[in-house]
Amino acid sequence: MRQLLVAVFLLSACTSNPEKKLATPSTTEIVYAEVDPTISGIISGTVMFNGKTPPRKKVDMDEDPQCAKLHKQAVYNDSIAANGKGNLANVFVYVKHGLEGKNFRLPADAVTMVQKGCWFEPRIQGIQTGQKFQVINSDPVTHNVHPRPKINREWNQSQESGAVPLIRRFSKPEVMVRVKCNIHGWMKAWVGVVENPYYAVTTADGNFELKNLPPGKYTIEAWQEELGVQEQEVVVPPSGKQTLQFTFKGE
Amino acid sequence: MTPTKQFLCFGIATALLFSCGRSNQPLGTVLRIEAPLGLPAATAPTDNPPTVETVALGRKLFYDKKLSADGTVACASCHSPEAGFADPRRVSAGIGGKLGTRNSPTVLNAAYSPVQFFDGRAKTLEEQAGGPIANPVEMNLPHEACVTKLNADAEYTKLFQAAFGPGVITMTKLERAIASFERTLLSGNSAFDRYFFGGDLTAMSPAAIRGLELFNNTKKGNCAVCHRIGAQNAPFTDGKFHNIGVGFDSDGELTDLGRYAQTKDERDKGAFKTPTLRNIAQTAPYMHDGRQKTLKDVVDFYVGGGTSNPQLDAEIKELKLTGQERADLVAFMESLTGEAPPNSGPPTAGLQTSGLQK
Repeated sequence: MRQLLVAVFLLSACTSNPEKKLATPSTTEIVYAEVDPTISGIISGTVMFNGKTPPRKKVDMDEDPQCAKLHKQAVYNDSIAANGKGNLANVFVYVKHGLEGKNFRLPADAVTMVQKGCWFEPRIQGIQTGQKFQVINSDPVTHNVHPRPKINREWNQSQESGAVPLIRRFSKPEVMVRVKCNIHGWMKAWVGVVENPYYAVTTADGNFELKNLPPGKYTIEAWQEELGVQEQEVVVPPSGKQTLQFTFKGE
Repeated sequence: MTPTKQFLCFGIATALLFSCGRSNQPLGTVLRIEAPLGLPAATAPTDNPPTVETVALGRKLFYDKKLSADGTVACASCHSPEAGFADPRRVSAGIGGKLGTRNSPTVLNAAYSPVQFFDGRAKTLEEQAGGPIANPVEMNLPHEACVTKLNADAEYTKLFQAAFGPGVITMTKLERAIASFERTLLSGNSAFDRYFFGGDLTAMSPAAIRGLELFNNTKKGNCAVCHRIGAQNAPFTDGKFHNIGVGFDSDGELTDLGRYAQTKDERDKGAFKTPTLRNIAQTAPYMHDGRQKTLKDVVDFYVGGGTSNPQLDAEIKELKLTGQERADLVAFMESLTGEAPPNSGPPTAGLQTSGLQK
């Protein structure tokens, strides 16, 4: 009898052990990269479009007359947003390599995408892995937020007029995650998910700026929704300022 | 029970005297309920055949605010005849403005539903009727207090005795009377019924006819997979529970577990009973939580493919429908408005049974 009791005791001790191990989370604390502002540098630059600007495509909102009614003027789908001087807007520029192994604190603020006028605003934006991604429906119609990632988890959420904002996160880096609305075929957006805070979207003048970079050697990638990607290597010395120019060729 | 039998019962044994008086079985003139065009034959449980008396009593009860704790809420407050016997508010308000979590479904044609409530927690109309009376966020009148209140009312005492024979008022009798009234709330003979079952090819608009085809087409709307249309009649429901991807909070978590609360079956999380689409144009807003305001919103919701979640029904997927096709589906649903059942509104000047169909 005593033997049996001991055996039972041992058995239970045995089985409980691995559980204990599982229940104890890793105690390794995340060490965040601290950037010394006295020696940090800047990469800025311009993205150009070299070619004939394709004719603007008018958006057909026939799928939903309620959406069409929200616009007094024609809406255009500017997938290549170049101005007369060839400056290219809406290009996502970010640090692709050079910061591996560094952890960056997450901004407390969410990155927000709004559905307004049956249009995603903004069309192109960046976010850090794990940062809050907020989606708002400001329209009087039912929308549907459907990211189509290849690396992150795919999800699809209906969001009716007046619904509470959605809060999601992308857990893995992925440039870019395409977002669509299943209800309104013309609605498109892209979210660049990166593990660092060094990303930008070119302005109407095609400009970008990556500030407060620790000195180092970096690969900078520029992504354009139709024209693909380009990358350049650059060394940022302490307190250095580097200027880059990317040129995308059209037809 | 006929008066003769009652007399016999009365005379047989003193021990049976009270049980005889306590019978919950309806007496009186059995009412034949004719199903309108498009609906299956009306049925009723053998222990509660609708009678002229129980139906009239049930109608009075249905509209009577006395059935709530503070006399402010009747069944009809959330199942209003002006709103297709449903509630135009997103979720219904009980006494003191307390809000529930679901949109009131229509009582019209509820008689055909194999179970009641969005989560199916009541098997019969009788079982359903007592629920909201005692629910703290609805009428908040515990059953004991409810029968005490009614037993103190001379008029109700008289009406219950006329409907069920001598004896005190019980919840069983009350629930049976309300259920019997609800069994008369059948609405059919809609434009769709006249077109589809009545052979009147002019009854539906061309848009609605196109909508019907899309509704049935498994590669288009695929609506009829759950909102069934039969060869003889069309209930527009399969009476089953489905997770169609409605009811998530900001983080994508279900705010209402639906059928799961009853079955504890993981697959039932977020599943709700398929509502009938009959009279749907009258019963906005839509979905179990009333989140969709218009029929267009509902069609758009289905085009979007709902909200992804582990229990999402396999039939819910993104639909490819043009703007015209979406509008046609709305036109079709607008053709499902049936005729208002007779004698279904609030009873006027006490109780009139003479106008009832026999």
